Amino acid sequence: MREPLLAAQGVSVRFGGLVAVDAVDLAVHAGELVGVIGPNGAGKTTFFHALSGVLVPTSGCIVIVGDDLTGEGAHAFARHGIARTFQTPRVFKEMPAIDNVRFGLEFAGRTRSHAHDAFDEPGTILEFLGLADVAAVPAGGLTPSKQRLLEIGMALGARPRVLLLDEVAAGLTHAEVELTAQLIRRVRDELGLAVIWIEHAVRVLMDYVERVAVLHQGRKIADGDPRAVAKDAGVIEAYLGEQGEPVTEPGRKAA
Amino acid sequence: MRRFTLRDSIAATVLAALALAAMPWLMSDFALALTLTCLMYAGLAVSWAMFCGATNYLSLATAAFFGMGAYVTAWGIGTLAYGLGVLLGGLAAAAFAALVGAAVLHLRGAYFAVITFGLGELVRHAITYYEKAYAGTVGRVISEPPETVTIYHVVLLVSALAVVTALVVRASRLGLALRGIGSDEERARTLGVETRRAKILAFSLSAFFPGALGAAMAVRWTYIDPLSVFNPFIGFQTVLIAMVGGAHTILGPIASSVLFSVLTEYLRLQFPYLFLVILGLLLILLVLYLPGGLASLLERWRWGKSRA
Repeated sequence: MREPLLAAQGVSVRFGGLVAVDAVDLAVHAGELVGVIGPNGAGKTTFFHALSGVLVPTSGCIVIVGDDLTGEGAHAFARHGIARTFQTPRVFKEMPAIDNVRFGLEFAGRTRSHAHDAFDEPGTILEFLGLADVAAVPAGGLTPSKQRLLEIGMALGARPRVLLLDEVAAGLTHAEVELTAQLIRRVRDELGLAVIWIEHAVRVLMDYVERVAVLHQGRKIADGDPRAVAKDAGVIEAYLGEQGEPVTEPGRKAA
Repeated sequence: MRRFTLRDSIAATVLAALALAAMPWLMSDFALALTLTCLMYAGLAVSWAMFCGATNYLSLATAAFFGMGAYVTAWGIGTLAYGLGVLLGGLAAAAFAALVGAAVLHLRGAYFAVITFGLGELVRHAITYYEKAYAGTVGRVISEPPETVTIYHVVLLVSALAVVTALVVRASRLGLALRGIGSDEERARTLGVETRRAKILAFSLSAFFPGALGAAMAVRWTYIDPLSVFNPFIGFQTVLIAMVGGAHTILGPIASSVLFSVLTEYLRLQFPYLFLVILGLLLILLVLYLPGGLASLLERWRWGKSRA
């Protein structure tokens, strides 16, 4: 079998007495689009922090294309091709949008080239995201949904091998979510990336990913085909336990 | 309007420096002394803004670097050529900044400001102790100082170099990294910047200039002791000048150091007892009504023009 691009092995994160992530294994390969879902407080974002080096796991290790990066700083993860977005967009507010995208190209992605050279230009990345007309606008002046798109652009600028998306659809309208999802599939297909996509609004995700992992109270309770996972008794119980937020909840959360 | 490129800006700096180099033969002694003060503060403020303006750090270590440079001169005078002392003063401050930066640059905001302020005091007391215990003296007399024209040219050179360095850094990857750190340090790290190294490098680079300026200016005083060269006022003044000018720019701190030096001198002559009060009031007004600094006036004007 091919070597996974990113492999988390028995990753646990503890904050004092609280176990936020509990011995989670996850391996993703090039071209895979994997969803990670779970009720509030399931440890999704903490897991992402560990996968991107923002947080050092208490135990377990994270291997990126054969290199064990456990304990290294986030910059090392980025240079190895792990790029991420944040739940609340963290763009460089004072910088023009185009410099936000250029940033990753200058640092994390400096030593790699994209499968597609079109994505080696910050201008083309902005165009791809439909942000070409705001290239010169300071990122802080963009609407929240455009900042979300720009975050994806920043991650793409880093010439990633694995793209970690933390609730990119939150707060978007139904049409915007649809558009974002198509965009994500396109970068996955055109650049051959592995994409891990966390979403709280489960429905959207289920429609677009080929594989989904479910976290509940820090543990991975299911991993596989979305249809099979949706029928999994443990998953249904985990979601129903959280006051009626069933797996089939419609994607439109907020406008 | 065509945008200024890095080459244009460096050329403009070199031309301005050449023009200023002729001043000793054109100006009165009083005007020359005032220009010297302007140049010193321009160099201090620009190099302060090079690191602090981009990263949003508040460093009060300028006095420490300045004093270290001054003491390199004080200890070396007689045995060390003046220019070499200036170079060594800068290098000593840069090395010290790298060492200290590695230890404290993870702190931010008020913590960093307090630590860097304490640093100046620490070095001052260490030198006072050393001088008393081993050299048996409190201060040192600077014998045979170089000519004023020489001092002026050396200070001009160091300050011009500070401006050119700031321009180059701003246009470089290091400059981009520093702006990223100032905006959101963790985000910059997730995009591949080794922020710790970038910060230490830039902090050390920006410390070279106050060190060199301290070494260059020390010979202006005939007698120096730790209290006079590790004067916290120099540190505060530098921060104020840079902030009033607009710390995220290069032209702003230069303009504001001229304004400050001239204004201070004028007020001191006109209102010898009230000048600090007036200066303080002016500062408060500026900070209240122009928080982006003098540079924001220019930006506003450009913005207005581009919209018209």
